[in-house]
Amino acid sequence: MAAPETSDPWDHLRALPMGRRVEISDGAGHTWTGTVVPRHELSGDRILPLKLDNGYNIGILIEPGFRVRELPPAPSPPTNGVSSPAPTPSGTSPVVLLTTGGTIASRVDYTTGGVRPVREEREILAFYPELAHSGPVRIVPVFDRLSENIVPADWPILARHVVESFAAGARGVVVAHGTDTLGFTAAALAFLLRDLPGPVVLVGAQRSPDRPSSDGSSNLDAAVTLARDGRFGEVVVLMHAGLSDDRFAIHRATWVRKMHSSRRDAFESRNAPPLGRVESGRVHLDQPAAPPASGPPRVDGPLDDRAVLLWMYPGLDPTVADRFVDGQRGVVLAGTGLGHTAATHLDWIRRRVAAGTVVAMTTQCLGGNADPYVYATGRELLEAGVTYLDDLLPETAYVKMLWALGHAPEPDGVRRLLRQSLAGEFLDRHRPAGAA
Amino acid sequence: MKAGLEVHQQLATGKLFCACPSELTEEVGPTFVRRLRATSGENLRVDRAASLQAERGLRYRYETGPANCLVDMDEEPPHPMNEAALDTALTLAVLLDARPVDEIAVMRKIVIDGSNTSGFQRTALIAMGGHLDLASGRSVSIQSICLEEDAARRMGEESGEVTYRLDRLGIPLIEIATGPDVRSGPEAREVAEEIGALLRATRRVRRGIGTIREDLNVSTDGGQRIEIKGVQELRLVHEYVEGEVRRQEVLLAVREALRARQAHVGDPGGVDVTARFSDIVQGPLSAASRHEGPILALALPGFGGLLRSAPGSDERLGRELADQARAAGLRGLLHSDELPNYGVTADHVAAVRADLGSGPDDAFALLTDRSPERARGALRRVAERAAAALDGIPGETRDPLPDGRTRYSRPLPGGDRMYPETDVPPIPVTPERIARIRARLPERPSARLARLAHDHGLGTEVVRQVVYGDLEDRFEELTGRGHSPVLVARLLTQELPAAAPDGGFEPSPATLDALLGAAESGRIAKEGIPTVLRGLANGAPSVEAAIGAAGLGGFTAQDLDAVVARVVDANAELVRRRGPESFSALMGDVMKEVRGRRDGREVAEALRRAIARGGRGPDAVGAA
Ligand SMILES: [Zn+2]
Repeated sequence: MAAPETSDPWDHLRALPMGRRVEISDGAGHTWTGTVVPRHELSGDRILPLKLDNGYNIGILIEPGFRVRELPPAPSPPTNGVSSPAPTPSGTSPVVLLTTGGTIASRVDYTTGGVRPVREEREILAFYPELAHSGPVRIVPVFDRLSENIVPADWPILARHVVESFAAGARGVVVAHGTDTLGFTAAALAFLLRDLPGPVVLVGAQRSPDRPSSDGSSNLDAAVTLARDGRFGEVVVLMHAGLSDDRFAIHRATWVRKMHSSRRDAFESRNAPPLGRVESGRVHLDQPAAPPASGPPRVDGPLDDRAVLLWMYPGLDPTVADRFVDGQRGVVLAGTGLGHTAATHLDWIRRRVAAGTVVAMTTQCLGGNADPYVYATGRELLEAGVTYLDDLLPETAYVKMLWALGHAPEPDGVRRLLRQSLAGEFLDRHRPAGAA
Repeated sequence: MKAGLEVHQQLATGKLFCACPSELTEEVGPTFVRRLRATSGENLRVDRAASLQAERGLRYRYETGPANCLVDMDEEPPHPMNEAALDTALTLAVLLDARPVDEIAVMRKIVIDGSNTSGFQRTALIAMGGHLDLASGRSVSIQSICLEEDAARRMGEESGEVTYRLDRLGIPLIEIATGPDVRSGPEAREVAEEIGALLRATRRVRRGIGTIREDLNVSTDGGQRIEIKGVQELRLVHEYVEGEVRRQEVLLAVREALRARQAHVGDPGGVDVTARFSDIVQGPLSAASRHEGPILALALPGFGGLLRSAPGSDERLGRELADQARAAGLRGLLHSDELPNYGVTADHVAAVRADLGSGPDDAFALLTDRSPERARGALRRVAERAAAALDGIPGETRDPLPDGRTRYSRPLPGGDRMYPETDVPPIPVTPERIARIRARLPERPSARLARLAHDHGLGTEVVRQVVYGDLEDRFEELTGRGHSPVLVARLLTQELPAAAPDGGFEPSPATLDALLGAAESGRIAKEGIPTVLRGLANGAPSVEAAIGAAGLGGFTAQDLDAVVARVVDANAELVRRRGPESFSALMGDVMKEVRGRRDGREVAEALRRAIARGGRGPDAVGAA
């Protein structure tokens, strides 16, 4: 049904379903023919996005005098359909892939222009049809969230899925995760999982899988290789070792940090080189990793999330910092340098410690130890009751704090657990990088 | 025939989606290696054949350098689109009377040959419609004006690894596509020149070989669309178009002959005739050349005599078939129209014919390769191409060759796989922006032509060569330094191209300045300019050195008078008898000695003076 001449063509067009073919005339001799596609959320007012027959999208500002004609739909190109899982060789124990969402399992959302996580096994296989080519892989979707939306309550759920996977005969477990908070989840799993009989490999992608250059495919491939062939029982992160698609670094979960917003090799082991690498489909361990445990794996929970992480900086108002700690059982400070704060913070720290809050100190340098003995400020903080956590990354320390709070009712117990090595997280030897 | 052009011009604005310069470099820093895979794109579809077969195992190595940042390496999201590049594209839209879109959507065009680190080319349609008016009064329609990223430079391939250099990746390209309105080769060239001049008028384009590339779409009645991709030599545009028309005419005539004979194509599996060549010792079929690979024959019943060139033409069906064999990785093929030859004897031919059951009207093709599988694959392609000859001319993409011919490159690409570049938000094209561009439009080439002709008192034809031959900047620079416009125009349009007909000789403005200065000061004659240019083209380090090496310098007015006196004295009798009429007889003798060393007009005057004096030389005058 054609719209009445007098009506606003924009009212007609905005009501059209996506995929409708139209011809627009501006009355000045210009005509556009194409298919109506979703509006970008940043598109201007009265802009009609149109996909032309040559494949280009354009936006046309629809003025009141424009004429619109609906056309019969163009024949749509044949779709190959979504592939079904490849038959898996029987007799070998599979690798289990737990998906949580994130770039590695996301697709472009053409409405918002962003990427959104995929939800189903078949969607994941559509992206990674070659996944099961080298051996059996079972895919278990756990979450479908970008990693910025993962919360501490999710970590024990994920840990239980890991344990169940091993219980069901998995050789190793891969966790596909968004990269933003992948380091937090990795550390959490390292503290939550005990007696692992095989590798737990967290993997992500810095480029979405809808682009031919995505690192998701090669990362996932290497992660599956590591989960299948790795002879160790701990939680690690596997990502690109450099800019090339042929070398992958194996990072201990508690040492790793995302150090770049976009590079493929954004993940770095701080304070030490990576545990090893995957190269040409082979696993090389350069440092000792925890050996596989013989007993059944278990989840060593719970977590208590009543803790905060506070970055110290010049100008931070002590009263604001103090209020931030309200209602918390613990706070991890990312201090300057060797683990310092302005002297103006000593007062609230003393009060909070006295009231039973655990205050822990790390360095925002993200390398080297927090050390209270070198400067007077450190000694004063130590006296105020601050627990120094050596070379723990602030994020790792925060996660460890949640775990320790979940495991000890009293501040002293929490402090003792914080100082104790639970997952190979402390390094007592810092070697110069690139030393001969 | 109908033809359309796609002109791709690099911009000098800096790269399209990052802050790197639009510059090529020989400096190579670290390299990295990637693999690309076909992806599902918009509709969650995977081109499985492509992802699992063709792309598996192909590695791409990328060379980085001073013209690169993380964006070029696909390690950082694209920055907002380069404003100067967009303004340049919109300027072209206004100049061509095209209608800009109101909101630009940057698209990803999937390209998985490794020439883009991301696996796609970013491209945006900026404007549609419009027209280009030619001097002939004809008008050619404009279909679209796009702005896109140039691809990385392919440096080579070795054992499954293709190397690209990233300097060129991301340089903005304006793509202007005309409608299929071009009617002849010369018109195609005129369109290319006119668009090129319009682009240069913006003063934002890169210059030099490879900075502007044309794709030519040609179709004739009865033929399919042929795309000649990546023509860099503007002066060859009309040759490619005309050559393509000739090729299609020849092939259509061959089709008629094939149909009349009810020709057909034999078993595309081929027949192994290796045993028939056990005694061959030389040529491509010898055991040494084919590395023990098999020799396969394809029967072509009814093709006899139709694979070779028609009289007076270089085009032939045999070459089309050989192109397919080459595209499949073979060195070529032999066909019966060119045999016996290449070590193949009449006995071999007879033996193959016997194997194939061929008669005198039949043809066959012989293919060989060390890999039997590759040889069989090539034979299937040759059989397909031969079968297509019965239908006419298959649509395809062809590569331009330096000699003005073209060669099969690949089938026509299917529809582009394009989906939105979600990392770049839509870009509004506001009326204010268009108004600002309208207010600052560059001088159109036609106006510039008229202005230069008027200001310098030059003929339109010579100014046309200056403006459309990409010479206007140098022309204005040299005339700006006070040199004679006539001299400068002649230097740029005639003498300079003649000095190095093969190109590659581009003396600096300072060199040309020195050369013109030498001619204008009388240090050398204007006629000596080509000699000095040849010297420079052959490697002389400076204008002075070239003048010295050619023996043109240091020949004074006195030296000229002495030569004139000698010639007049030697012909004293003639001069006495015929007086001034002896001038033309003697001028030739004098010029033989002084050409290029003194100005021709000056020589003529000196000779006239000497003749008027009745054969007495300057010394005699001095003595009187
Ligand atoms: Zn760049």
